[in-house]
Amino acid sequence: METLRRVLFSVLLASAIAQFARGDSPKITAVLTSSEVVVGETVQLQIQIDNAGTSVKPPSEIDVPGLQIHFTGKSTEMRWKNFTASSSITYNYTILPEKSGTYKIPPQSIRAGKDNLQTPELTLQVADSPRAAAGTGSNRTPSGNAQAGEEKIAFAELLVPKKTAYVGEMIPVVVKIGFNSRTRVAEMAPPQVSGQGFTVQKLGEPERNLENIEGRSYVVFNYKTAISAARIGNFQIGPVEQKANILVPRRSSGTRRKPFDPFSEDPFSDPFFTLPFGGLMEQHEIDVKSDPVSLEVKALPAGAPPTFSGALGSFSMTAEANPKRVQIGDPITIKAAISGRGNFDRMDAPELSDERGWHKYPPSSNFKQDDDVGISGTKTFELVVSPNEKLTNVPPLAFSYFDPVKEKYVTLHSEAVPLIVEGNAPAAPAIAGTTPATSTLPALGGQQKAQDILHQINDRGKIVSSFAPVYARKEFWLAQLLPFTFALGLMGWKVHNVRASNRAALRAAQLQHERDELLRKLRRDQLAPREYFSDASRVVQLKTALKQTNIEPATVDAETAARVFDLDAEKSERMRRLFATSDEFRYSGAGNGESALSSAGRRETLELIESLS
Amino acid sequence: MKLRALLQILVLLLLALPKAKGANDGPSRTGGDLFAKADTEFAAGNFKAAIADYQAVVGSGEWSANLFYNLGNAYFRHGDFGRAILNYDRALRLDPHHPEADANLRIAHDQAHSLELAPSALARYLNFGTANFFAIVAAILFWLAVVWLILRPGRVLWALAGIFLAAICGFAAFTLENGTRGQGLAIVIAENAEARVATVDSARSVLALPAGSEVVILQERGDWNYAALPNDQRGWIAANAVERVRL
Repeated sequence: METLRRVLFSVLLASAIAQFARGDSPKITAVLTSSEVVVGETVQLQIQIDNAGTSVKPPSEIDVPGLQIHFTGKSTEMRWKNFTASSSITYNYTILPEKSGTYKIPPQSIRAGKDNLQTPELTLQVADSPRAAAGTGSNRTPSGNAQAGEEKIAFAELLVPKKTAYVGEMIPVVVKIGFNSRTRVAEMAPPQVSGQGFTVQKLGEPERNLENIEGRSYVVFNYKTAISAARIGNFQIGPVEQKANILVPRRSSGTRRKPFDPFSEDPFSDPFFTLPFGGLMEQHEIDVKSDPVSLEVKALPAGAPPTFSGALGSFSMTAEANPKRVQIGDPITIKAAISGRGNFDRMDAPELSDERGWHKYPPSSNFKQDDDVGISGTKTFELVVSPNEKLTNVPPLAFSYFDPVKEKYVTLHSEAVPLIVEGNAPAAPAIAGTTPATSTLPALGGQQKAQDILHQINDRGKIVSSFAPVYARKEFWLAQLLPFTFALGLMGWKVHNVRASNRAALRAAQLQHERDELLRKLRRDQLAPREYFSDASRVVQLKTALKQTNIEPATVDAETAARVFDLDAEKSERMRRLFATSDEFRYSGAGNGESALSSAGRRETLELIESLS
Repeated sequence: MKLRALLQILVLLLLALPKAKGANDGPSRTGGDLFAKADTEFAAGNFKAAIADYQAVVGSGEWSANLFYNLGNAYFRHGDFGRAILNYDRALRLDPHHPEADANLRIAHDQAHSLELAPSALARYLNFGTANFFAIVAAILFWLAVVWLILRPGRVLWALAGIFLAAICGFAAFTLENGTRGQGLAIVIAENAEARVATVDSARSVLALPAGSEVVILQERGDWNYAALPNDQRGWIAANAVERVRL
């Protein structure tokens, strides 16, 4: 038994190790955190290898002219699912574009164990730096204001990385509001992006940076958002308008400007600016405005797949279904997670690639964004389906989107999930004939299918007053009093019987005891005749009462004893003589001596008594 | 003295029984008239009026399986599948062997594409009886065991076996009463109801519930009910979106 247990344990352990070691064949994916970037900004390249094992050699250098690509580190992740272990290694690279253009990052060969893996080719679009780009809506070069100097001490800028987009495409936009670092912002509302034909995501909290522009230091507030074109055509985005109250150092009234000072028009040439905040501040309400940006919005190309619901971007999909063993009609929840970058707000749930034999319910969704504006993240859908028949798997989910970079439709398919469906399909209920009234009823649009409900019942049936279960009603507990009473009565009867039988037994024991005592005396042969016959007749009475329990011993006479013991004539006669002799001795006093009773007579009497049974 | 006490209990029972029986007396004139009127309205295609009349009978407290079945039909014809399913369920609650209600309930579930609760494995085994059935059997077995114990005090094992079986039947009744078909069963009557993770409309959705879907209410808190859902999860549902089957 112990050996068998050890063998079983070894087999299980070996199986678990094999599961861990086997895994699946290595897979490689490579993604850019953003496929569009401006010169001077960085983007991350992530190369992920699933089930890689330990011997992986990533490329140490990726050489693309115009891009500076540096390896920044790796991360490893272990997963344990359904008793199967899997691991993934992610290699991170930082890409810094040096000039604008469209770059192709060529496939990279990576050795993972015995497998030679290759990344897909990636495309990165690099736009001009907003500082250099004329058409990005920049109004960044600070300009002076003849009177208040607002234009020189603040600027607004709208950065839109694309000039053309598809309808519905999410375009990340950055709104920059900069203030000269010598001022203080007392009050500022979030900027407004004006324009028609597109929707703007809500602006979040800005990032605050210190930037040097043309030799001057500015505190810049970066508001990130995203816009989505609602229709086709050419649109103007912006301008961005921003009102703010700022505190500016007050000019000294006693200081004169030099007559030929080339910076005399510059408010910051005032000597007071050499001592920022050293004197009193004065509040100015300023209004900064960016240039608008033009955007051409194109229609989506024809040939959208049937499962396309308006999603634009770049996505990946995973799906799982539970439970995997159900009865016909039981619900199964399919969780589909769609990750990537795009317009998640227009994304509908993926669909079953084959809906035959399935009953679908409306899906629910949850979006978890990875960035500030909701362009990047994971949208998780929960689809509840139930099998109408015996099926062997949950069919793959299909999800289609339009990739604006590749300019084509892409359809993702999940893997089919094995399933065990038990039970029989419910039989369609018999359709009884409807009443004439119901058959002439107007049809309820598409709601009425082949099956129709059964007819009305004109009989009200049994009336009840409560839905409560029977044991929650007082009638039930009152009814329990009946068996309770019966049981009590039964118990009383039983106790009475026991007591009665006990009394009878006690009486019988007493009678037996007296009988035995008297018989012993009779056998000793020493009694006087009077006493002898008295005891003998008493023994007969006791024996008779013991045989017939409802007779009192004192009431037994010779006739009774003869009847009870069913004596013959001769014995009956002897019994009569015994009782007569006893009475004679008892009441007349005659023969009260030794000589009056012979030994034979005693023996004869004793035999008669002992023969009674 | 004891005999007198017993007699008093018997008299109390005799007084209580006619009262209990009185609740089950035949339909009153008003209820019967309304029921007949509602049937006529239904036959004429006036489902809204029929619903109002049937509801009036329900309001009078004179319930019957056929009343809820007819009311369910009226709601079905009116296109309100959620309330149709609710009333079919009520009809089946009063008469678990109501074939018409059972058939129409299936049709309504198909039409509404509603979600149904999967009974637990134990409830599936106990499906042959109702909570009432098991409660009555438990009571009978208990009293038989008691009587046996009185009559045959020497054979305790048989009495213990009877009491054990009575306890099992009591447990079965409790299980059914607190299961997916028990006192907490409620039907979603609102269109596009959603179960959420918290008691606010903006909370994340756990499950979208079509009208007619089944839930088990576990807790009531103000305008929200915490409920077990058909996908084995739990969530908060607006109280006005669901209605308990048991009145």
